[in-house]
Amino acid sequence: MTEKQGQGKLPRIVIYTGLLAIVLSLPLFIQSRYLIHIFNLTLINIIAASSLRLIAVSGQLSLGHAGFMSIGAYTAGALAKHLGWTPWVTMPLGALATMAVAVIIGYPFARLRAIYFSMVSLFFGIGILAVNQVLEKFTGGYAGLIGISPLFSGSKVANYYFFVGLTVLSLCVLYRIEVCRIGTTLKAVAQSHVVASSVGINEAGYRVLALAVGCFFAGLAGAGYAHYNSVLSHSAFNLLASVNLLVYVLVGGVGSFAGPVIGTAVLIIIPELFRMLKGFVPFIFAAIMILVIFVMPQGLAGLPGQIGSWVEGLRQRKGTAHAP
Amino acid sequence: MLLESKGLTKYFGGLAAVSHFDIYVKQGEAVGLIGPNGAGKTTVFNLITGLFPPTRGTVLFDGKDITGKKPHLVAKLGIGRAFQLAPLFADFTVLENVVASFHLRPRSSLWDAFLNTATYRRNEEYILQRSMEILQLVGLHEVKNNLAKNLPHGYQKMLGMARALAIGPKLLLLDEPIGGMSQDEIKLTRTAIEKMCKQGVSILLVEHNMQIMDLCDRVVVMNFGKKIAEGSLSEVRENEEVVQAYFGGKHAA
Repeated sequence: MTEKQGQGKLPRIVIYTGLLAIVLSLPLFIQSRYLIHIFNLTLINIIAASSLRLIAVSGQLSLGHAGFMSIGAYTAGALAKHLGWTPWVTMPLGALATMAVAVIIGYPFARLRAIYFSMVSLFFGIGILAVNQVLEKFTGGYAGLIGISPLFSGSKVANYYFFVGLTVLSLCVLYRIEVCRIGTTLKAVAQSHVVASSVGINEAGYRVLALAVGCFFAGLAGAGYAHYNSVLSHSAFNLLASVNLLVYVLVGGVGSFAGPVIGTAVLIIIPELFRMLKGFVPFIFAAIMILVIFVMPQGLAGLPGQIGSWVEGLRQRKGTAHAP
Repeated sequence: MLLESKGLTKYFGGLAAVSHFDIYVKQGEAVGLIGPNGAGKTTVFNLITGLFPPTRGTVLFDGKDITGKKPHLVAKLGIGRAFQLAPLFADFTVLENVVASFHLRPRSSLWDAFLNTATYRRNEEYILQRSMEILQLVGLHEVKNNLAKNLPHGYQKMLGMARALAIGPKLLLLDEPIGGMSQDEIKLTRTAIEKMCKQGVSILLVEHNMQIMDLCDRVVVMNFGKKIAEGSLSEVRENEEVVQAYFGGKHAA
């Protein structure tokens, strides 16, 4: 809704095409298979974090988003492994299955708001791991699910282009939802469910809608991960994974669409750059978070606007210093 | 009869916040609901709009039983409400507040909105135009780009009324519309309410401030959850029980 100050100077379309061109040409400059692998993980996490943000826009902070990702991942993985279906079918099915679960649990969840929603989503995220154990026959349980058919066997670069496409497509859908009336209504529900329902907005329905769409993309990200990684380990979707997604969103800036994209990229790629200091990565992570929380309440996405106001503040202070 | 409640009762634990309360509003009528603090006026509003279900009793609107219906369904039938406190979407601008409140008529489907179809664009254009008209009516068109939370208290209340108008209500529930307002703001609000009455909107009004009660065709007085008097403003003023409720009786003195 509110335009960031720094973005107004160049037409948005130029910025986006420029960014896309850089992203598409990255494999030309970077030979390291390892770095491309990191980029792929970043792209998957960008889809997941952005989908988490859509749920946050409706006023619900989910603490079990990785749990939803795991539904997509295991659905796709199990279908591919046990029935031998192609990834092109299992991935959409994984996303749809996640969405279906979100709708089913969404209605009872929608009665709860704010912190209570966060709590049940937390329990859900933990509970789904237990379900994973119960369905050991299909999911592999603690041993993990191995031998899932890969998307593009061997080629990291082919996978990279696939995930760039998937991310762009997902972001376009999420962006359109946010800028049209649906997004406005979700934001209205987040601000006051009492006022929203007084103008005829089915606030519970809209919160379930946000959860369903958000979980569709979480499932898609999970399914993509399953076929990319070929192995699903039990710990990939634990509570820490959910918290990490939330941190990507918050550090990037929950108020801005670009927030989770920037947050994920910075928090995954920067620790990789300091790999030789591996033991210190958690500290770097923490330092970035503390810095953002104290200095940049709008997250990294709000940085251009914030720098503008700092510069303005400095200039004003100088102006008064020179005055007699 | 547009709105009619029969034997409306609401218990909070052992406390009867509202008990056996009857009220009616005819088409095109403006009815005042007054009473000391804690008399149960806002609870009556909450029961009518479905914010919580009554313990006993029924509410009829436009011939339909709306007892215990969800708030958004009550709104859909044509009951608009301006809240006493925090009546708006704080992080939206004034204009966005009204635009966001146009949820029912016209209504674009989710697909229309997502795919940006011609229907959707036509609806949005109409909504923008109607929103400007409503802001003009309540006198907020000059601050339309201000954030709602930055508005002075009086303006926030006026915006609450504007929002309620966006659903095109048959009946408007106004909860202390001029509470805490300056004289200028009261004048503006008064004019707006008069205009709404002329447009045929029925009004049920809760207010302490007597400066706008003369707009009401009829006044209902309640105390301790019960109706204690009903009639024209001058009739009610003479009523002994009402005087006692407000100024205290022999024992209280």
